[in-house]
Amino acid sequence: MRVTTNLIFDQNLRAINNSQGELSDLQSQLASGKRLLRPSDDPVGAAQVIRLTEELDKITQYERNIDLATGSLELQETSLRSITDVMNRARVLTVQAGNGIFSQPDREAVAVELEQIRNQVVDLMNTQNASGDYIFSGYQSQKQAFVYNPANNNDPIKFQGDDGTNRMQISDSVSIQTSSSGKSIFENVNGRLNFELSGSNGATLGGYGIRYQGSFDSFHQNNYDPINPVNNQYEFTISGANQVSVTNVGSGTIVDTLPYAADQNMTFNGFEFSLNGAVGDSVTLELKQPEKVNIAETIHNMALALKNPSMSSQEFLSAIDDTLVGLDNGLDQMARENSSIGARLNIAQSVKSSLLDTEVTTQQARSAIQDVDYAEASTDFARQETALEAAFASFPRIANLSLFNFI
Amino acid sequence: MIRNTDLFSIAKTGINASNKLLNTTSNNIANVNSEGYVRERTTFSNHMNGGVDFGFTDRVFDVFAQNQLRRDTSFVGETRAFFDRVEGLDTVLASEANSIASSMTNFFGAIQTAADDPTNTASRDAIMGTATGMMNRINQLGDFMKAKEDEVELQIQQSVERANSLVTQIGNLNEAIQVANGTSVVDTPTKLLNQRDQAILELSSIVALEVRNSPNGDDGKVVNLTTGESLVMADGSFNIFAMGGEPDFTNRQLTLMTDFNSATKNESTINVVEENLGGGLGGLFKYRERVLEPAQRDLGKLAIGLADAVNTQNRQGMDLDQQLGGDIFNIDGFSAINYPQNSDLSLQMRGIITPGSSGDVTNNDYKVTVMSAPTGTPAVFDVEVASMKSDGTPQLDASGNAIVQTLTVTAGNGNLNPTIGGISLEFNSGGQYAVGDRFLIQPTRIAAANLSMATTRGEDWAFAKPLRVDSGDNNLGDAKLISTTISNTATGTSVFDGNGGIHTAANSPSATFGAPVTIRFTASDEFEVLDNASPANVITTVSGVSDFSNLIEQAKTSGSPAWPADFAALSDYPGYDFSLQGEAKPGDVFSISYNTDGINDNRNAVEFAQLQQSDIVRQGNGSNQNKTTLNEAYSSLVGFVGSATANASVNLEAAQVMQVQSSEWFESSAGVSLDEEAANLIQFQQSYAAAAQILSSARDMFDTILSVTR
Repeated sequence: MRVTTNLIFDQNLRAINNSQGELSDLQSQLASGKRLLRPSDDPVGAAQVIRLTEELDKITQYERNIDLATGSLELQETSLRSITDVMNRARVLTVQAGNGIFSQPDREAVAVELEQIRNQVVDLMNTQNASGDYIFSGYQSQKQAFVYNPANNNDPIKFQGDDGTNRMQISDSVSIQTSSSGKSIFENVNGRLNFELSGSNGATLGGYGIRYQGSFDSFHQNNYDPINPVNNQYEFTISGANQVSVTNVGSGTIVDTLPYAADQNMTFNGFEFSLNGAVGDSVTLELKQPEKVNIAETIHNMALALKNPSMSSQEFLSAIDDTLVGLDNGLDQMARENSSIGARLNIAQSVKSSLLDTEVTTQQARSAIQDVDYAEASTDFARQETALEAAFASFPRIANLSLFNFI
Repeated sequence: MIRNTDLFSIAKTGINASNKLLNTTSNNIANVNSEGYVRERTTFSNHMNGGVDFGFTDRVFDVFAQNQLRRDTSFVGETRAFFDRVEGLDTVLASEANSIASSMTNFFGAIQTAADDPTNTASRDAIMGTATGMMNRINQLGDFMKAKEDEVELQIQQSVERANSLVTQIGNLNEAIQVANGTSVVDTPTKLLNQRDQAILELSSIVALEVRNSPNGDDGKVVNLTTGESLVMADGSFNIFAMGGEPDFTNRQLTLMTDFNSATKNESTINVVEENLGGGLGGLFKYRERVLEPAQRDLGKLAIGLADAVNTQNRQGMDLDQQLGGDIFNIDGFSAINYPQNSDLSLQMRGIITPGSSGDVTNNDYKVTVMSAPTGTPAVFDVEVASMKSDGTPQLDASGNAIVQTLTVTAGNGNLNPTIGGISLEFNSGGQYAVGDRFLIQPTRIAAANLSMATTRGEDWAFAKPLRVDSGDNNLGDAKLISTTISNTATGTSVFDGNGGIHTAANSPSATFGAPVTIRFTASDEFEVLDNASPANVITTVSGVSDFSNLIEQAKTSGSPAWPADFAALSDYPGYDFSLQGEAKPGDVFSISYNTDGINDNRNAVEFAQLQQSDIVRQGNGSNQNKTTLNEAYSSLVGFVGSATANASVNLEAAQVMQVQSSEWFESSAGVSLDEEAANLIQFQQSYAAAAQILSSARDMFDTILSVTR
């Protein structure tokens, strides 16, 4: 090929330009530590990096969510544990009060301690978090969850919140409940199930009460009808000289027949009573509507009973029974809630450890796509540098070759 | 051999010839750095009567190499114009600071953090900050693309002006060369030829050319576009490019126009396919049609999807002021552009994105054609809405049919007519439309640049749901609420009164029933829906319930008596639903109330956060309804521009390699080699000296003859 003067200069310039371009790219890679400087360096990789970065940012956020959720769950757990502790003390006191040898001043001393416990429970049910929100108020966290008003006999411990519970996302697919409403933990505690006298037709009812609470509870639960109250009425009729028949008033069917002797105790599904009357006389008892009693109210009621000297011993015993059943149900509820919180904390922990695993894997994946291989890049750099130096060195020697220098 | 001349004349022609050779060589050396200079050679032949004849100086080059060089220059021009433009987009998308993806992640992260404590105003303000930041990123990218669009238009204009001046120049040079050839029979006008070749080469970097010799044998050049349309004709007349844009004058298009400048002859125009022009112009058009416009619309689609999803979610919630949530972002409407043939160019038409329909938005433009004459008041008429790509070709569905919807619309301000693609049209010019009037609308073109915040108050984020469901105090069963969904909060068509409550029985859409607000179980598998009248009426009873999810929906479909017709007539009444889990006992009650004071509720915030992984943005434009997440939509935009840039970079490199090769080929025949000229210089000096020696010999001989006769 015929080599012209311009060709020599052009070729050398081009070689130097190319080398410098490559060197500058390699230098940027080495300086930034990134192989992907522009999306066009690897379009598919660039799109993947965006997705992986979002993935990593989300993981960081989820880890943060888990910390926040753990914090609020632990606060609830602590409050519930304290409530459980003081309720156990209340239970011991209640059992003590029922021993029969306590005099009225002794009972009042117990009542004072129970009132302290009640105040403590109300206080704990009104636990506030760091930002001053009542954690058991549901959605209306600015309102105090429970208000104590002794003047209100029906509802001395009034709940002001709602059923609302919050959840928090702790991974793409898992969310956990981070708050519980005081209504479901403290209010939704079943009181003692009972019979109540609703009418008498000649016969008189002697002492009565629930002897075997367990069997009565199952009878109550199976037979209570909230829609038609008449189905809850049972007529105990002295149907013969030594026989009492039990009739469901609603259906008219005889559900049981009991042996009768005047003023002798008999038992109907755990309910113990005695009757006195002529054949044909009857009393009607009704399954009492199940009640939900706040745990603090249970303790409050016990304190009231202890302070009331005019209470009959039967009423007093019944009050103790009410309290023990209420406290036991409350403790059950608390234990359920506690184990539910524990389960949620466990979920949060296990999700967190799997998030940490994913984080490492995702980081590796992203690094494989976008990060520079320093060994490779620095080798390339050295090679390119040599080429450029060679071009610089050879160019002037070729350029100086001219026939004009020799004529 | 006839020799009737003498040594003196032979010596004279020899000296002249050597002189001329030395001239040519010196000229070559002097022009070694002249742009477009082609080396010259003077050739001689011997004269019939002895001595050397007149020399003939001509340019030395390979005409095939020259043609190859022009083709490769066009190719480089095209790929370079494309690459230079697309590289700008690529660089902007590469920058972490500009990344919409990271600002979206920040935004959703802030929402998640705020969801932990919905009453915290500091974290609400933080969301406002990240939302504004995200919007700024989108605006900036949208503005950048808008600026790029303007820049391309400007560049097209400049290229066209340059091309036109070159076309004129070539035409003029053709004429000048013909004149020069007519006046001198010996030497060729090399300067003019070089100038013309240089102009043709420059023109070929702007558009791809086909160059032929004039059929008249007069050394003229005929220059055509590679697509066949002629630019310069043999007689020196020429056509020039004219710009226009129909109907969108900001979107330039090209036609070829004659330049007769005659009073008697009308100018005529020919349409050209811009993308096939080749050269820098072709590259610019390709970039505009294939990268910039789709990318701009994809970005708009993403912006609309994001803003509408956030707005929709916010409208379904209750804010910190205990009001129903409003819009967070403003999505601008778009005005239609009249086609120039319309009956009246002042006709107006507008469009907006139908709220909640962003999932249907595509990156297409739409052509709206009036199909029937408006009748009545307000005017009612038929229009055809045709979906088309950004380059104006029809969008086809999976079976290859154009996507078109014909619908009857009502004209008048405020009458929105929803149509395909998630848009609603508003015909503001009443009954003035005529059959055949056409309008162009571009819903996504500048949506990203025009996105703005509708509020700046952190309190306006609706993190709570507007309803809560409370279980009755004496419920015996263990049924629990597991989810509440809100789908409609509009006043009049939902239970909400728009004033922080549920409408009263008196304001109910039904004359007989108030709002459904209570569910009461009458058996474990049967429930009643009660209204909020006092005393409450039973709206309907649902029996045989096996699944406690979506109780209101069950009441609508299988309640007895049937769901009231006044309620069913509304598309989404009451606008909420809820699901229970567990076992209900007869007598259990669940009551629905407005979430007054429920500001610690984070249910809507959690749903907000889930938007991050929800499929929101539509992928395809055809019948494919698949959607993708916001992040994927952005990453596919980046991938799209990235791969266009990567392709362009490979094409450019290939074109450059070819151009280097062909320019070296051309240079090796046409370039000046100083070494060669140095050798020639010596050679011609010697021949000059030799010719002078002949003169000296002739004089000696003449002297000898004289001395003999003396």
